[in-house]
Parts: sequence; structure tokens; C-alpha cells
Amino acid sequence: MASIMERVLSKLMNKNVLFTVSFLVRLVLVSFGVYQDRTMVVKYTDVDYHVFTDASKFITQGQSPYHRSTYRYTPLLAWILTPNVYLSHVFGKLLFITCDVLSGHLIYLILRQRGLSCKAACRVCSLWLLNPLPAGVSSRGNAESVLTALVLATLLCLELRQIPMAAILYGLAVHMKIYPVTYALPIALSLQRKENVEERGVGWWRRALGFPLRLLNKELFLFAGVAGVVFCGLTVLFYNMYGWDFLQETYLYHLTRRDIRHNFSPYFYMLYLTADSPWSLALGLAAFLPQALLLFLVSLAFHTDLAFCCFLHTAIFVSFNKVCTSQYFLWYLCLFPLVLPRLTLSPKQGVELLALWFAGQGIWLAPAYYLEFEGYNTFLLIWLAGLMFLIINSFIMVQIITHYKPPDTTQRLKAE
Amino acid sequence: MFVFFSTCTVYLVLFGSTQADENSCGLSMTWLETVSVTMDVSKNGFHRDLVTTVDFGPGFPDGLEALLVHRLPSGIYIDQYQLASLKEDTGLQVLLGSAVDLEAPAHTSEEFLVLVYPALDQGILKATLPIHGRYHKPSLAGKRFELVEIKLPKLILRTDTCTQLISFPPYKIVDAPCTVHNLSICQWLEIQHLQEQDPVSLEIPLGDGSLVEPVCAGTLLVTLLCCVILSRSIWMHGVFLDNVILI
Repeated sequence: MASIMERVLSKLMNKNVLFTVSFLVRLVLVSFGVYQDRTMVVKYTDVDYHVFTDASKFITQGQSPYHRSTYRYTPLLAWILTPNVYLSHVFGKLLFITCDVLSGHLIYLILRQRGLSCKAACRVCSLWLLNPLPAGVSSRGNAESVLTALVLATLLCLELRQIPMAAILYGLAVHMKIYPVTYALPIALSLQRKENVEERGVGWWRRALGFPLRLLNKELFLFAGVAGVVFCGLTVLFYNMYGWDFLQETYLYHLTRRDIRHNFSPYFYMLYLTADSPWSLALGLAAFLPQALLLFLVSLAFHTDLAFCCFLHTAIFVSFNKVCTSQYFLWYLCLFPLVLPRLTLSPKQGVELLALWFAGQGIWLAPAYYLEFEGYNTFLLIWLAGLMFLIINSFIMVQIITHYKPPDTTQRLKAE
Repeated sequence: MFVFFSTCTVYLVLFGSTQADENSCGLSMTWLETVSVTMDVSKNGFHRDLVTTVDFGPGFPDGLEALLVHRLPSGIYIDQYQLASLKEDTGLQVLLGSAVDLEAPAHTSEEFLVLVYPALDQGILKATLPIHGRYHKPSLAGKRFELVEIKLPKLILRTDTCTQLISFPPYKIVDAPCTVHNLSICQWLEIQHLQEQDPVSLEIPLGDGSLVEPVCAGTLLVTLLCCVILSRSIWMHGVFLDNVILI
């Protein structure tokens, strides 16, 4: 039995087989979803997918997609999904699963670029491609895979030093969802001109003065310029088409969002209890400071490995955010396969950390279920579970940071 | 001749005697008095079903249309998108009086009107409306649940055969959309003797406002602690390399 499993697994770790199988699995899930929606009361398709399709319908009628209440995304998404209305309701899902498999392919390319063998890269990629979480999310009609594909493509282009292309993809990614804007600092730091031998020899204060000059170089201006043009261009275009609604729903809502309903965030109960109090603003700021500080530190500490830096960035951003839902986990899970080859954790330790992460979610989900579907007053338990989840996430991140081994510095310097 | 005359007289007498009991729309007073409405809330938690049943005696008039007018409190809301999907799946016919904000808490929301067209189900008219509890303001007095009361709906009736309802005291005549498609307004008869049942209520859990200080302190303490631990770890293992300012 074990040898059969081994043979199957080794056949699967062939690149073409792996990608084909992943796509077919997702296709099967989409088909099952169509069947389930038609025959059962509990639907497979996520509510968000209906929101996107309704917004696309408004666009085909020449109206604003923001007429659809709770549509809080860029109009670009509704535009891309207009074939849902013209061709088939299932077009969007097919697009999302394609982006999902494309994300896997981008992970593969980045890993190969970093020197992994084909087989090793396939093994690491399979963590994403054969993972039920992203497969389930994209087959249910969530658009997260579009964003993960954009972020991974940006990282690949930066790895290949294709600055203009990276900037276009980055501008597009930030337009679609705000959180990639936090990558600006690590990207800027990674684009700085490296010190040459003479510069290393002078006193620290002279090196400190030289730092801004090395940071503000041609590549950074090119990146910032192109990304800025793409982002501002799209903003101006959609503002002209849809007015204030576009800015409000796509950006301002997410920036000022105070969802007092229960979610994974450690701040949920505090924000619910202080929603109408005069302390609300001060507490919001207090919640923002740890996030900002950690993001700044991580940018300085790990910008040499952009994928690792972005992974930590997003993991910290999501864990310390005022609102946290399970969809956000995909934002950093897509970067985890890039981080894995540089971790010195044993498989046993890895599995233990994974189990701990799931246990943290389970501890929260149990009282949340009893609150929402059974009507028990479990607010205190949910609050404590939220704090526990933050502690678990922090512990896991510390383990990852402690077991991170950067690529050999002397080799890098020699290469330069 | 005499037989014909007497038959006519008998017929006139019979017809005349039912004249006061029935209007031209086929709704008789005696039958209307057998009509009753019951309401119940099923399931638990924030997502419930409001089941309204209309019972009546034998003699169901042909082409009878019923409409339940619910005035729902601000403590609950209805998801119009869920309704649209249910309309396709189960044929539930509901008209919302106004747009409903799906996310607002109870104290910033208002009562709203819902028109439900119940369907005939095994000899009784029944409608199951999915309702959802809103988040309420945290209580300061240690109250753990908020009681949300839902009053009985008003029942209004009409028949398809009717074009003009003649005044039929004690029942009032009201105007309402003829069907769920809301294309035209018809005249309906309001059945008023039904208000004997107590309103149904459901309990919504509340946050405990008296704990605001320990919760804030606890939350900020834990987040600060995690922040410090992570910062320390980043500082110790960070590859600061080209960042001269810190080395």
C-alpha cells in the first residue's frame, strides 16, 4: 500500500501531471458546485460570487456596479466578469480556478529562479496546487486567486529584475485590493543600489548619509513612476465613470471599516463594546500602532528576501488587523511555498505548527458557531479565542523567523 | 305559472337572505369569522425562520388571494438577495417595503414593512420568512440577551373574481399590490379580529458593556505583548545587511 502511494506521489511530482491534475480537481469542484446549487438547499457558491455577477449585470445595463449593495470591489472585477451575463454563469469560476493554477505556476517559476530543482519545486508547489483551501475558495467563486496571481507575478518580475512589468502588475494589484500597498517599503528597500567595496570602508555616519542616495535610485523611480501611473490612471478612469461611490466602496470602506460583528480579529470585542464611545478613535489608533511598527521592522529586516518579507508583512497585517476573516489567510498562504525552502524546520515541526494553526481557528469557530447558530451568549469566549489565535499566530511567526536561513551571504557578494 | 312564481319567490327569499351575509366578491361573513393567523419563530441564534400560518374553515372561496403585512422591528433584518434566491427555489413571494441595510446595528436601524403572499400548502396558507438578528448595543446592566418582539401581521384578503369591493363592515378596505410583481394596486379586505395572539419574541445575545475596561486592557496588553515578542525575534534574526542606520 505504502509503495503504491509512493509511486503515485512520484508520478504526480512531474510538472505537467501536477498542473493538469490540479486544474482537473478544481474543474470537478466547479461542476459539483453547479450540481449542488441546483439540487440542494445549502449552496456551494459563495455569496460574493452572486454579488460580482449582479454588479456585472448592472454594467451590462449601462449602470454603476455600486447599485448592487455590498459590492465593495473595483469596477474592473465586474467588467471582467461581464461574460457571466453574456456567456455563462460559470465563466467567473473558470477564470478564478485558472488564476489559482496560474498562481501555482508562478510559485514554480520563482522557486526555479531561486535554484530549486524541478522535482523539489514541484513538491513545494503541490502545497498550493493540491491544497483544498485555495481550490475550494476559487471554485466557490471568490476572486482572491486573481490577486494572489498578481502579487506572485510582481514578485517573479522583481526576481527577474523586469522593473516596468513588475510595476504595472503591482499598480494593478494595489488597485484591486489595498493590502499590497504595504509591500511598497520592502520593494523600495530591495531596489536600492548595493553598497560597493569603497562605501563599506568608511565610518558609519558617512554610510548613514549614503543610504538615502542609494535608496533613491533610477530603478526605484522607474518602479514608483510606472506603478503610480497605473494606479492613478485606473483611479481617475473609474472615478470619472462612477464618481464618489467608487472611491467610497473600493477604498474608504475598507480603510475605515469597523465591523463590530464577530470575526477572528483580537480587537473584535473591544471594538464592539466601544463602538459608540468617544474612545473609539483613540483605540482604533492604538490598534494600528503595533501593526505599523511590526511592518516597518520586517521591511528593514528582511527586504533582501522579498518573498519572505512580503509573507511576514501580510501575515502580521492580517493577524493584527481590526477585521480578520478566513479569506484573508490566502493572502499570505500563497507566499508560504516561496518561504518554505529556506526554513530549517523539520517536517514534524512543520506539521505541529500547522496543527496548532488549525487548532487556533477551531478554538474560535466553536463559540462563534454557538453564538450565531444556537443563540448562546459566548462573546467572552470568542474574545478569549481571538486573543489565543493572535498568540498562536505570533508563536508560529516567531518559529518561522527563528528557523529562517537566508541564502548564503558570501555567495551573494561573490556573485555581485 | 303559480309553481314558477313560487319558485321565484323562494329563490328571491333565499337570495335576499344571503345578500347581507356575502358581498359580491364571494367572501362571506361566516367564513371570514373562521379565519385565524398564527405565527411562530423556529431555529436558534441569529438566523431564524418566521412561520406564519393562516387557518380557515371549510368553504374556501375560489380565487382567494391572501397577503400578510408584517411590520418587523429594527432588531432584525431580511436579506433581499436571499429572498430572490428563495423565490426561485421554493416559490416564496415577498415584497420589501424599503431597502434594508444588511450590516447596520439595531440602534441605527428602523422598523420596516414586508408583504408576504403565502402559498396554499395542504389546505392551509403558509409562509416561511427567513429573518436575521442584528447586532444590538452592548448592555451596561449585565443583561445577556435582548428580547426582540415581532407583532402579528395584518391579514388582508381579496378574490380574483372581484373588481370592486363594496364596503363590508366591520372589515376595512385597504389598497395593496395585487401580486408580488407589484404591477398594479388592488383593493383588499383587512381582517381585524385576529390580534389576540401575544407577539412572538426571540432572544439576541448582547455584548457585556460593563466589561469594557477589562476587555480593552486585556486586548491591548496581549497585542502589545505579541508585538514585543515578534519585534524581539525580528531584531535578533533579521538580515539587516544594507541598512546602515541600525548596525
